[in-house]
Amino acid sequence: MGLSDQVEVPQPIKFVLNWGRKYSLWVFNFGLACCAIEFIATSMSQHDFIRLGVIPFAHGPRQADLMVVSGTLTDKMAPAVKRLYEQMPDPKYVISFGSCANCGGPYWDSYSVTKGVDQIIPVDVYVPGCPPRPEALLQGIIKLQSQIQDESLKQRYAAKPAPELAAEAR
Amino acid sequence: MTPEEIGQRFTAFLEGEAIETESSYGTATVTVPRERFADAVTFAKTTRGLDFTFFDFLTGVDEADNGYGVVTHLYSPIHGHHVLIRTVVPNDDPHLPSLSGVFAGANWHERETWEMFGVVFDGHPNLVKLLLSDEFEGHPLRKEFLLTSRVVKPWPGAKEPGE
Repeated sequence: MGLSDQVEVPQPIKFVLNWGRKYSLWVFNFGLACCAIEFIATSMSQHDFIRLGVIPFAHGPRQADLMVVSGTLTDKMAPAVKRLYEQMPDPKYVISFGSCANCGGPYWDSYSVTKGVDQIIPVDVYVPGCPPRPEALLQGIIKLQSQIQDESLKQRYAAKPAPELAAEAR
Repeated sequence: MTPEEIGQRFTAFLEGEAIETESSYGTATVTVPRERFADAVTFAKTTRGLDFTFFDFLTGVDEADNGYGVVTHLYSPIHGHHVLIRTVVPNDDPHLPSLSGVFAGANWHERETWEMFGVVFDGHPNLVKLLLSDEFEGHPLRKEFLLTSRVVKPWPGAKEPGE
């Protein structure tokens, strides 16, 4: 991360950096089920989250700032989600979109569904609903942006050592 | 060909074997002994007049003490008729000859039936897990399979209408 996790950036510069970061969120859609349709609807002209600075369809996780996990995460898929999350460059954010990604949702008793994406990767904003309406995702994005505006990269990364990458993710 | 006529063809083919035919909702259902399951499917595919050349699906049914049912649905694009060929394997010896030599498409269906119900398909070229994660233990579609979430928290609603 360089210097920003070593020293606290002066407040005016931090404001500008955070302001720039929050309005340029290249988003990586991890669409796993019907919630992905709502995500796509949010990206289209009716709701249009590009007006909030969220740029859809990053070419891959290495170009993305934000991952939206939308849909049912199964135990079989979980390693792939973790691996792609690790490929994203810092600072990175995760929105858990929909009941399945939040906690397993209607599959709470299933033998194959992971009970929440937060069991494998850290989540910044949870959007409830089954599936949530596009407005709910817009609300979640605004919530995330206000978190980004207030955050300090020093506090976010200083306490946490760089994650150990899985061998195949390098 | 009517379901009754289809049943008669199978009865004539497996003369003297424990074979049951019935017609349910307009589809012929043929129950055969497991030793003749692959033969019956080959017969259905290759016999002129039947021509069941389209393999639709193969799956399992947990019939509790009766054993595990294995059922396959075949269709004839030429004649437009259907047949369900089913067999039952006992609980303590759930083995069945593979159909993947007859229909290549049966390969993945048999892998799924194997991991979900524990029915072993002898002669299958690649009987490994298809949908479940590698470390998964057990056969989740068996009635005896315990859902750990349900043990901790019972089902919150009614299981049957009127309960």
